[in-house]
Amino acid sequence: MIRSIEEYLELLKTELKDSDAATVQDALADAEEHLRAALASLREKQPQASQEEALFQVIEQYGSPEETASAYKEVERRTIPRLTHESQASTSALARFFGVYADARAWGALLYMLIAFVTGILYFTWAVTGLATSASFALFIFGLPFALLFFLSVRGLALLEGRIVEALLGVRMPRRPLFTQSNLKWLDRLKELFLDKHTWFSILYMFIQFALGIVYFVLFVTILSFSLSFMAIPVLQEAWGQGAIYNNGIRYFFPVWSYPLLIIGGLLLWTTFMNMARGIGQLHGRMAKSMLVTE
Amino acid sequence: MVDSSTLTKKFQKEMNAGIASLVLLSVLDMSDEPMYGYQIAKLLEEYSGDASFMKQGALYPVLHSLEDNGLLESKVEPSVSGPPRRYYEITSDGREMLVTWQGVWKQMKSFVDRAIKGG
Repeated sequence: MIRSIEEYLELLKTELKDSDAATVQDALADAEEHLRAALASLREKQPQASQEEALFQVIEQYGSPEETASAYKEVERRTIPRLTHESQASTSALARFFGVYADARAWGALLYMLIAFVTGILYFTWAVTGLATSASFALFIFGLPFALLFFLSVRGLALLEGRIVEALLGVRMPRRPLFTQSNLKWLDRLKELFLDKHTWFSILYMFIQFALGIVYFVLFVTILSFSLSFMAIPVLQEAWGQGAIYNNGIRYFFPVWSYPLLIIGGLLLWTTFMNMARGIGQLHGRMAKSMLVTE
Repeated sequence: MVDSSTLTKKFQKEMNAGIASLVLLSVLDMSDEPMYGYQIAKLLEEYSGDASFMKQGALYPVLHSLEDNGLLESKVEPSVSGPPRRYYEITSDGREMLVTWQGVWKQMKSFVDRAIKGG
């Protein structure tokens, strides 16, 4: 017999141990929200029932941990996460290489690399400001509520980042914030957040994102401009009579026979980068998942 | 033969797979405001009377899956007592889909009725 909601959640977690971390987090959050609401309303209607009896009735209606777990597994099996449809299994390596243009994941990863620059700066600023002010305010009594607000905002940002990662990189992430016990006093909640490794991983992620955001952005802009420049050289030379390279007052022209090579080179460079971006996106998604989602 | 209650449960579960989506969409379509999981479960309990067709816990994964397909939208709001609640609302895509599904259901229902009665 299950004696508390916490025990139910533990059992549910065990049942779902082979499932996707994001599904587990959804399932736990759903169960906790429902069971607490149901228990509260039942206690109102039947105040004389003991906690155990009430919980038994509530679980009877909600479903045992096994039943609930099997419902999630069933839906998980049928659901295809967005942007992760496998592109047709092309046999030739060449088709796979150029097939990247039709792959939503590659375009999503490119967009993500641009966005990461902005979010990286925001996260970094937020984390540094929050940590520094929390630490210095800790000398005063209002430092503690301030730290609590900061830790809660970290949770919120981690969730937001998860949504961006899922939409653009196609890596499944949790749908809702993780919360544990609702009846905690704010001081206990602060302690819990402080001791939770997930909070610190999220903060670490916010720092890493800053560095990675810059690297992604620089890579993106550099390679895009190189590719475009290569392809623009023939146009520049033929239409405007401009030399491709201008040094010490001397114009250097590429010979006409090299035009096709330049265009092909530019195109290949960009296509290679698209393939790289897709790989980077997948790696980044895996990192985000391991740092932002609680197992 | 496997015992009849196990088979009945299995039969029930297989039927519920599609019906749950139709029912949840309809409930949210008729509601004037966004609803959270427990509210929906309560309402369905009223409709079903004494018979219980599916466990309340099985509604949630269906809600997630409808949301993934863009038929529902949801937002999390803090509640006065207890953990934050996720409120679900039907989207315009969801409304369109519901009309189609209701059509499918009607045809299905009359087909099954006729098949059971034999003509």
